[in-house]
Amino acid sequence: MMRVAILLTLSMLSACATYSGGRGIPAPVESRDNSTDVPAPSLPSAQPSGSTISAPIQRQELPDSSVEQGVGSFVTPAPREEPATASSTLLQGVDSAIAQGDLERAAALCERALRISPRDALLWYRLASVRAQQGRPTEARGFAQRALSYAGTDQTLTTQIQSLLRSL
Amino acid sequence: MQKHNAPDNRSPHPRRSKWWYFKRLVLAMSAIIVLWGVWIDYTIRQDFEALQWALPARLYARPVELYVGATISQDELSSTLQRLGYRQSNAVSGPGEYQLTSSRIRLWTRGFDFWDGEEPSLYLNVEFDDNRIRNLWGDQNTGDLALVRLEPVEIAQINPDTGEDRLPTTLSDVPQSLTDAIIAVEDQRFYSHFGVDPVGIARAMVANIKAGGIVQGGSTLTQQLIKNLYLDRRQTLGRKIEEAVMAILLELHFSKEDILSAYLNEIFLGQQGNRAIHGFALASEYYFSRPLKELTLSELAMLAGLPRGASYYNPLRYPERATARRDVVLQRMQSQGYISAQEQAQAQSASLRLASRTRIQNARYPAFMTLVREDLARDYDSEALRTEGLRIFTTLDLRVQDTVDEKLEAAVKSVERAAASGDDGQLEAAVVITDAISGEVRAIAGGREPGFSGFNRALNANRQIGSLVKPAVYLAALETGDYSLASVLSDSPITMSLPGDQEWSPQNYDNKLFGDVYLFDALERSMNLATVNLGMEVGVDKVAQMLNRLGVDKDIPLYPSLLLGAIDLTPLEVAQIYQSLASNGFRSPLRAVEAVTTGQGARLERYGIATEQVADSESMYLLEYAMQGVFRRGTAETMASRLGPHFPLAGKTGTTNDLRDSWFAGYGDDLVGVVWLGYDDNRDTGLTGASGALRVWAELMDSLSINPRADFEPAGIQWRKVSIDAVTQGRQRNCSHTLTLPFASNTLADNTVDCEDDSLFRNIIDRVRGLGR
Repeated sequence: MMRVAILLTLSMLSACATYSGGRGIPAPVESRDNSTDVPAPSLPSAQPSGSTISAPIQRQELPDSSVEQGVGSFVTPAPREEPATASSTLLQGVDSAIAQGDLERAAALCERALRISPRDALLWYRLASVRAQQGRPTEARGFAQRALSYAGTDQTLTTQIQSLLRSL
Repeated sequence: MQKHNAPDNRSPHPRRSKWWYFKRLVLAMSAIIVLWGVWIDYTIRQDFEALQWALPARLYARPVELYVGATISQDELSSTLQRLGYRQSNAVSGPGEYQLTSSRIRLWTRGFDFWDGEEPSLYLNVEFDDNRIRNLWGDQNTGDLALVRLEPVEIAQINPDTGEDRLPTTLSDVPQSLTDAIIAVEDQRFYSHFGVDPVGIARAMVANIKAGGIVQGGSTLTQQLIKNLYLDRRQTLGRKIEEAVMAILLELHFSKEDILSAYLNEIFLGQQGNRAIHGFALASEYYFSRPLKELTLSELAMLAGLPRGASYYNPLRYPERATARRDVVLQRMQSQGYISAQEQAQAQSASLRLASRTRIQNARYPAFMTLVREDLARDYDSEALRTEGLRIFTTLDLRVQDTVDEKLEAAVKSVERAAASGDDGQLEAAVVITDAISGEVRAIAGGREPGFSGFNRALNANRQIGSLVKPAVYLAALETGDYSLASVLSDSPITMSLPGDQEWSPQNYDNKLFGDVYLFDALERSMNLATVNLGMEVGVDKVAQMLNRLGVDKDIPLYPSLLLGAIDLTPLEVAQIYQSLASNGFRSPLRAVEAVTTGQGARLERYGIATEQVADSESMYLLEYAMQGVFRRGTAETMASRLGPHFPLAGKTGTTNDLRDSWFAGYGDDLVGVVWLGYDDNRDTGLTGASGALRVWAELMDSLSINPRADFEPAGIQWRKVSIDAVTQGRQRNCSHTLTLPFASNTLADNTVDCEDDSLFRNIIDRVRGLGR
């Protein structure tokens, strides 16, 4: 009887000792709902119709060969294929994200498109517009200026960018 | 105690009967037992209801994006799929499988919950054309596919102090066969017992007595769960009783499903270094590199055999034992009617397809991880990173990082001078590669050895940058509008008095004097004297400001020696400067982390691209001309044939006094790369920027197929002919040989060298002026 008593007391003590420390502080994993998350980008299966992406900037041929007397040339690389479908798919995603009011996701999609077509003035412009809509004018200005620097001879886009810049 | 002492106590109280003491004792003990029970009941409910594990943060590399035109070869895609644990098969029939044909890869992605949205699981075909994707299409329903993103490769975890790692899973995501197998082999009356299984215990005792040792345990899943939860493996009787009581209480309060689900997540199933593998979902990734739902019956049975002894039956280490154990599990499943004899036979004959060793051992990018941790430390304390199960999406590009890891050491060895390397320490290296446009860091090497985890030179070695500073000097000059590429500079001796009666007489690298030179030529061939002359005219403060604008985030002392790079910067800081140059004067802060989400995928933090224009487009265009000229005519010309296919590229060599540092920083259209070579103790390397770092850079960038620079000519640029000779005032203009240079709209060439207006009238004027001198 004695032994059982001691055993129980000890096991109680050990139980206390174990449980008080236990497994450490339970991790404060947030179980917030995903209300900030928007549905997945619907990847259109068919070719996007009416691609909104601007044509790649036409590279101007330099006068002369720009080279004489053994001084090397400053020529342009051969134009590479522009993966318009990937960018335009993402741009559609940008539109729908804006429509759903998830501007951060819209910005993210612009950036994803920029990784594919880094010198696409339209993409920079869209990113600038999103940031402007988010009330982040400093960032918007940076993107808009960059858009302007890639806009080349696209007068329509240039006008749009300039008007955005004025509004900031 | 009382009982023992009682007879010796000469107490004044009336003598009490033993029965009285006994009653008291029973009462006291009952009270203790009840209290204990209540306490256990309370803690068990508390702990179990709030059962939340400390979960490590998981870090992911940048995911591979597939689209027509994407730069990725068939080999690269197939190796990425292997890293993701995709199974090669002859007919793709489900997620996580791929099939390889001569010029195509057919695959079924698993889908992934990305921070910016969910990527669906898709069946697709990829057709290659050298190292680009030529075509991308799905099946008849989906048709051509525009863009598909693979799951990201997990590159690291930040583990909790306990070292426990797990992938929490709900019961509904666990294949039925796995729970069947576990119940069959560990606790066949799980659904009918009340936490403890007397029949099971009796059977185990019989079996143990027969065998003369412990061969079978009678613990129910509930008891095993309790044992795991409270981290105590002592096998004392008291412990057993406590465990049993807790198991019974647990069953009273919670459903069988709750208990089974906790068991599946909690149970210990393996050890990898300091990392303890808990739960079946993680065990599946760990042993098979695939998610649970992709495992076969044979593989699930193998996992179900692990709780009995995770190290003893470790399939990676003891495949025979693990196989034998699997067969026991399958046999039990069959005998209890979960599977047919045929299924059993089929599963038993299946061979093991375990995760490859390389996959288990890789996933360590210490140099990059330091940067990630520094970036994260701004917003997260280390406790959050170790316990909250955060998902961290990094900018690491495995293609780039793996190429650096693979090529760097040999490349460094090939330029190392035998004479210069002594016994104490080898020639060291640091590499930073970033995206040219967005500032995302793609790869880092902190030393010459791959996976080197010691002193991270890329982030922490502050070294003089030498001529790497020069673009800032020339850009500051061009920006004033007083200089053009055809401005004539004097590369002639100069002596400056410094504060404290000191004098400074800089010299060219090989003590040459170039005399009158064009501005572009002085940068391309890295002439020190011409640069100092120019910089002194522009102003050291202007140059320092330019460095700050380009991204140097510290106070710069205004000494003339700054013009030749007497400023200590880390390779990472240099990468920031050159990123600004590579994106034509738009600085984008370097980033290693793109986004952080909770374990459930809710976005917490996003670190997007930012950009700020720090130099005007026309000046940048002129600077670019000379920076490309470095490769065509200047100090990097030695690599022209090697890198020719990737031209035009831009960059600059850097060498410091006594050849202590050999630098090269350069960029194509997609990547910026900075390479530093030197000794930790500042010894002479015997290398210039061109003979050391440039060669390493060329090796890396050639392997990475760096993209040529795209042209970005601003509208105002004019191309004009100038004399091939850099002529100053008072000397004859010579237009018999000319070269054509770009000019900013407001700063054309001086009359002395301009050959655009080659009219008779102009020639006469020249003559007259010549006579007058």
